[in-house]
Amino acid sequence: MIVFEHVGKRYGGRFEALANLDFRVRRGEMVFLTGHSGAGKSSLLRLIMRLERPTRGRVLVAGHDIARLHASQVPFYRRQIGVVFQDHQLLLDRSIYHNVALPLEIRGVEPREAARRVRAALDKVGLLHREKALPIELSGGEQQRVGIARAVVNKPSLLLADEPTGNLDPQLSADIMALFEDFNRIGTTVVIASHDLALITRLRHRMLRLRDGRLVADEEAA
Amino acid sequence: MSRDAARQPPRGARSQSQGPRASSRMRAWGRHHRAMCLDSARRLLRHPLGSLLTMLAIAIALVLPAALWLALDSARVLDAELEESATLTVYLAHQVEEAQAGRINEAIGAHEGVARTRLITAAEGMAEFQQALGLADALGRLDDNPLPASVVVSPVDPEPEAVRQLAESLDDLAGVDEVRLDLAWLERLRHLAELGSRLALALGVLFGLGVLLVVGNTIRLAVESRRQEIEVVMLIGATHAFVRRPFLYSGAWYGLGGGLLAWGLLGLGNEWLAAPVRALAASYGATFQLPQLGAAGSATLLICSTLLGWLGAWIAVSRHLAEIRPR
Repeated sequence: MIVFEHVGKRYGGRFEALANLDFRVRRGEMVFLTGHSGAGKSSLLRLIMRLERPTRGRVLVAGHDIARLHASQVPFYRRQIGVVFQDHQLLLDRSIYHNVALPLEIRGVEPREAARRVRAALDKVGLLHREKALPIELSGGEQQRVGIARAVVNKPSLLLADEPTGNLDPQLSADIMALFEDFNRIGTTVVIASHDLALITRLRHRMLRLRDGRLVADEEAA
Repeated sequence: MSRDAARQPPRGARSQSQGPRASSRMRAWGRHHRAMCLDSARRLLRHPLGSLLTMLAIAIALVLPAALWLALDSARVLDAELEESATLTVYLAHQVEEAQAGRINEAIGAHEGVARTRLITAAEGMAEFQQALGLADALGRLDDNPLPASVVVSPVDPEPEAVRQLAESLDDLAGVDEVRLDLAWLERLRHLAELGSRLALALGVLFGLGVLLVVGNTIRLAVESRRQEIEVVMLIGATHAFVRRPFLYSGAWYGLGGGLLAWGLLGLGNEWLAAPVRALAASYGATFQLPQLGAAGSATLLICSTLLGWLGAWIAVSRHLAEIRPR
């Protein structure tokens, strides 16, 4: 699903965010990306989302070198990926329903079909009863679950999450991780960047450890 | 505007989802246009005063060139009428007798390039002069009529060059003292009209740019205030066309609103000036109507203003999309 071949990323010609990354993530796998802040987790996710291009090496997603996608194709590529952000990035002037519907609106999904899928996604994260609420009326954990619903409403084959439990207490964090495991169980490839080692070691999935932009350990699920 | 929905996803992406068929993509595209058209109108109405001020600025920028253009349009109508009435006045020598004047008149009438002639004898000339100036008493005291007989000639070809040639050949006839062209002022009017139309064009371009700037600046602020939203939708796969669309509609609405206001202002101006213009025309013994925009003119004004608004928004959004990159 994802292949990194000798990938390096420098910013401004000097600062080396990532160096010589070489790994692959199989289809349907669930992988944690861990390391201290500044280790390069976010940079790595940004490369997969094609927000940036590697300065060295190649990143292949579903067999395609994504650096070679034309700018006009990038939006269509991103539609195949669900992304969950640490700060959830919800639109504050829209209801929960319309936040989750946004990716479908962008894809031009027919409204009745969109409504069905939005409700299914909200139901999955347990927030169907809050569809008319505005994001600020929700707790941090609920907002994050709305972010997850928005990421999966398109049924992406790849789900990325950048510190999805960063601001949550342990119990909520565990709930969120359980949600990701559910999506992984139905075949979605999941890559989660997290520094919450206590939580993710308990979950027993493959773990990629980064330190100063280098891959220092690749521990298969126990 | 590119039709993002009709574009193909990259091959890698397509294998993961069966893309919707072309007809449903077109429907989705039309649906988004409708939604954005209404949504942008609602956003404008949410800040009625601010929207109105923007539209008023656009309207004021449009009124001046439009009014000038209207004035020129009526000058062109006037010019065509005047050209038809372009005449030469042939003054006969003082010593020419009345009978002789009749013969000269006939000779001129037979001359090539002459359509009609009208003889004004010395006495008739005096009578007209007295009437026109209201100086009957003063002129009546003159012992001798100082005016010569004259022939007013209507040329077949009213073009200035042809008339000038005709004047030269008439000047050579016996008994003719002087040929006067009544063209100088006509030419002056024409030069003025030419000057005016260039001025209108220059003003039109300048004020058109003004409209672009007004709309561009308003849209720039709108883009800035929705920056987070733009970043998010771009992160989840919105095309530039998708992001641009609501702003283009806002620009078009501003343009249309400005055009309608300009149209109203022109109508008001017309009302405001109509009475004095009528009085002025009456004092010249003429009836003159201020020019009206008419259906075609109104449509042109509204279409131009809407397009200008749309274009201004396009420029503003495109410039900012290049700057906004998702974090």
